[in-house]
Amino acid sequence: MPEEKMVNIYIMNKQYEVPAGVTIMKAMEFAGYQFVRGCGCRGGFCGACGTVYRKPGDFRLRSGLACQLQAEEGMYLAQIPFYPANRSTYDLQELTPELSTILTHYPEVTRCLGCNQCTKICPQGLDVMDYIAAAQRGDVEKAAHMSFDCIMCGLCVSRCPAEIVHYNVGILCRRLYGRHIIPKAEHLAKRVEEIKSGKFDGELNDLMGKSQEELTKIYDDRDMEQ
Amino acid sequence: MAIPYFPGCTLKTKATGLDDSTRATLAALGLEVAELPEWTCCGTVYPLAQDNYMGKVAAARILINASKEDDGRLVTVCSFCYNVLKRVNHAIKNDEETRTKLTQFLEEEYAGETKLVHPLELLRDDVGFDTLQKKVNNKLKGIKVASYYGCMLSRPAAEMQFDEESENPTVMEDLVSAMGAEAVDFKYKTTCCGSYQVMKTYDLVVKKVREILEGAKAKGAQVIITSCPLCQFNLDWIQEKIAEEDSSFDKIPVLYFTQLLGVALDVPVEKLGLEKNYVDPKPLLQG
Amino acid sequence: MYTAEMLELIKVVEQTREKRMSETFPRINVEEKNKLLRGFHPDYMDGAMRPVQLGPNKGDALPHEHVDILESRSWVDPADVDLEKIDFDVDVLVIGGGGAGTSAAIMAAEGGADVLMATKLRHGDANTMMAEGGIQAADKENDSPPIHYLDVMGGGGFLNIPELVSALVSDAPICIEWLENFGAMFSKFPDGTMNTIHGGGTSRRRMHFAHDYTGAEIMRTLRDEARNRGVKVLEFAPAVELLKDDQGQVAGAILYNMETEKYYIVRAKAVIMATGGSGRLHINESPTTNHYGATADGIIMSYRAGAKLAFLNATQFHPTGVAFPEQVVGQLVTEKVRGLGAQLVNIEGEQFFYPLETRDAVSSAIIRECRERGKGLTVPSGSGVWLDSPMIDIIHGKGTVQEELPAMFRMFDNFGIKMDETPIIIYPTLHYQNGGVLINDKAETEIEGLYIAGECAGGVHGRNRLMGNSLLDILVFGRRAGMNAAEKIKNVKVGKLNLEHAAEYNQELDKLGLNERVSPILIPDYRYKISG
Repeated sequence: MPEEKMVNIYIMNKQYEVPAGVTIMKAMEFAGYQFVRGCGCRGGFCGACGTVYRKPGDFRLRSGLACQLQAEEGMYLAQIPFYPANRSTYDLQELTPELSTILTHYPEVTRCLGCNQCTKICPQGLDVMDYIAAAQRGDVEKAAHMSFDCIMCGLCVSRCPAEIVHYNVGILCRRLYGRHIIPKAEHLAKRVEEIKSGKFDGELNDLMGKSQEELTKIYDDRDMEQ
Repeated sequence: MAIPYFPGCTLKTKATGLDDSTRATLAALGLEVAELPEWTCCGTVYPLAQDNYMGKVAAARILINASKEDDGRLVTVCSFCYNVLKRVNHAIKNDEETRTKLTQFLEEEYAGETKLVHPLELLRDDVGFDTLQKKVNNKLKGIKVASYYGCMLSRPAAEMQFDEESENPTVMEDLVSAMGAEAVDFKYKTTCCGSYQVMKTYDLVVKKVREILEGAKAKGAQVIITSCPLCQFNLDWIQEKIAEEDSSFDKIPVLYFTQLLGVALDVPVEKLGLEKNYVDPKPLLQG
Repeated sequence: MYTAEMLELIKVVEQTREKRMSETFPRINVEEKNKLLRGFHPDYMDGAMRPVQLGPNKGDALPHEHVDILESRSWVDPADVDLEKIDFDVDVLVIGGGGAGTSAAIMAAEGGADVLMATKLRHGDANTMMAEGGIQAADKENDSPPIHYLDVMGGGGFLNIPELVSALVSDAPICIEWLENFGAMFSKFPDGTMNTIHGGGTSRRRMHFAHDYTGAEIMRTLRDEARNRGVKVLEFAPAVELLKDDQGQVAGAILYNMETEKYYIVRAKAVIMATGGSGRLHINESPTTNHYGATADGIIMSYRAGAKLAFLNATQFHPTGVAFPEQVVGQLVTEKVRGLGAQLVNIEGEQFFYPLETRDAVSSAIIRECRERGKGLTVPSGSGVWLDSPMIDIIHGKGTVQEELPAMFRMFDNFGIKMDETPIIIYPTLHYQNGGVLINDKAETEIEGLYIAGECAGGVHGRNRLMGNSLLDILVFGRRAGMNAAEKIKNVKVGKLNLEHAAEYNQELDKLGLNERVSPILIPDYRYKISG
């Protein structure tokens, strides 16, 4: 790390000097933290390390993932590793991909005021309000696609005056879309049938009985799909 | 060039017939509309408290987004959406406090520039009833049509400024005449249908609806038209309920004005979304 | 943001791009590959390993970091633990809340078992979540499980355990269908046909994916389903030691609530160990793509209980870890980038290796390019080579990178690098534990009552796993573990619980004079330093 330059950050109002430009996660560890909560994949996929911060002289609340956000001079920050959320239980197989399903499980989506705070806080930069709007009018497909990159960190939930749990609405829409809207793969169903009927058992047994030398030869000679 | 169009949530679910027939009839008249790329619920009900700014944010954003399109107008057909959007725009235009609060929160410059238009106004002002008259077939000839406005299109008058006389609008009757049908006037045309009370005080709404229906039928109406999804639902669906208890009750079809206009313009019937109507209008229209 | 010097070097890559795009770099055969691996793969580096001094694999040479864990005392002092007070009494205990554990829990519950899942961090905090590129299954017309079998064996150096590979490839389409039924949003064509691409070492396009969030999509879907089915989950409560009964069968575990520091005794008729891998041990001092919790906990607990390890001396280095910018060094650049056509290019703008060889080979070739041939780039963490990502949009059309690799794009964009416009710098990074606890095709170990699934298990991948077979592995063996455990417990009676195996292990360590370390370590310690 070219860490000659140090900056001051304030972790929950306590000042620490950390190398400039390192991620907040590494900066916190450098400062002496050993995470139990607030740290997960460290690669921007799991949503464990949602972080909010402000900079001096700026009223705006900003957000990021601690594992992706870089330390800058004067940041005041706190992690939000958990936020209580309402989650509905359902049997996906029984559901239909339409508005009534969404309203049955998450009627609170109709409370959306359009304040857009969810979108502003999203560390993934998703149009959260707009996917909730799509869900609110039963456009499951649109909500599914728009929410796809959601990592379920919960920062949107922490900011919603209508008390909506956006990410749970999102996953309901995605699962409805994946199960009930986009057609099933016919080639997949066919292959599963073939496997269950034992179609490949003989060929597999034959291969399993081959020596390393025999396999090496077959392997080197195998044809490659372009 | 396409005019920005805000369908509203109900038109994507219960009232797809209004959405379909609006798009189809406007297209048949050479008016292209383009749905806003992203939009939220308008808020449905205009907040009664003047200082409830949060309840106006969604509508303000929709108006602002529309102002960024080139046309300068925004078309919406649902009476509820029209009411909320128009009143929020009016407040932004005329009340400095509201304007400041909303534009500061949304971080946008906006002073009510978007011109909100209802398709009835488009038909009157852009197409012109004289022109329309020349484009229609004669399928509606002789059919007596009652125009039902309800509350949302024109009230409160000072803010809505709908038609020449808000308490006695006539634009729909003029449209009926231009379509080649016969407009009948009836005194309940701006009476409330009971609105959301259908969920809570059902009996009251049945009473109101029956009054409206009987009033129209007494004037000889064979069909009622409206632009409001909730009015349409109340007037239409409740007839089924009335008929279950009163076998002598004569049903009357309740259509969106755009559906009737579609018939007059030879728009294929499958584009008019008539299948969701409870009282079947087809016998009358094919009659 | 690239340095001025790097921006100059990018011009070299751009100059050769047009010519390179028409070239296909020749593939290598098995013999050439073996030579390359012996020369440059970290597994074969002098001093990387030492023999473990006790336990079922006594005398086997393993990476130092693994041996350190194995030559460590039990977390608990067996004499101090009261095993009479049972906190949870269940049919099946699943240890680990990633993809394998969740699949196992769902299937065990479906089989009628009362299931408890205990996980160290949150449910879903696992390497599964981070698997970006895809999952293999031979479900297309021109493909078959036997063709998949051959690819897997070749990838693993023909050392894989045949019955495990057969299970892997045969269950693959079944698992994909299972996920399809759960509504996982695989990339599909409008008629429902799966969109599939190549991965390193595949002879057919059989990599199914969901943008570059494939693992995340699978994990969150499985987790949602487990929640719908009411599977009981204890979060932040890792297992620290297995329990046995007087018959010698595994019969539960001791859990440790990391927040309250309280211990729980769980009695179970079967235990499914699904604790994942070990990247956070930083084998070979390498940065890693792995999850914070990848600390080989299941390996040591199973080992103390007497289970044998296989192929733990084979570590997978992913060829394309981030080498620049420094803030995210070692993080994963999915193989899908190469699957979509990006070439590996040296400092002189030359393509130097077939981009979709197996991972062990590609990693070795990159190391050779930098170390032996001196044609790597210098970056603050050492060396790297170019991965010519802008080729993707040129081949597939503008916008493909952002559409197909949104997570990758977002990560680099965060640091001012537009990977659809400029190439990126990569170097091999510690990615996967190829081996683990030896299992059979029912996910059983040699120890009665102990099942293993996922990265914690060993044998299926031989010495090198192919891309897209880990997401598959967790499902195949997670499901098998769950189903078999649910069946097994119908005839299991648990006797009196004890920790004798742990006590004996401690005594042996005392004899060897190895009584300083304690494991599992649960979480890595990066305090007061800058680390991976």
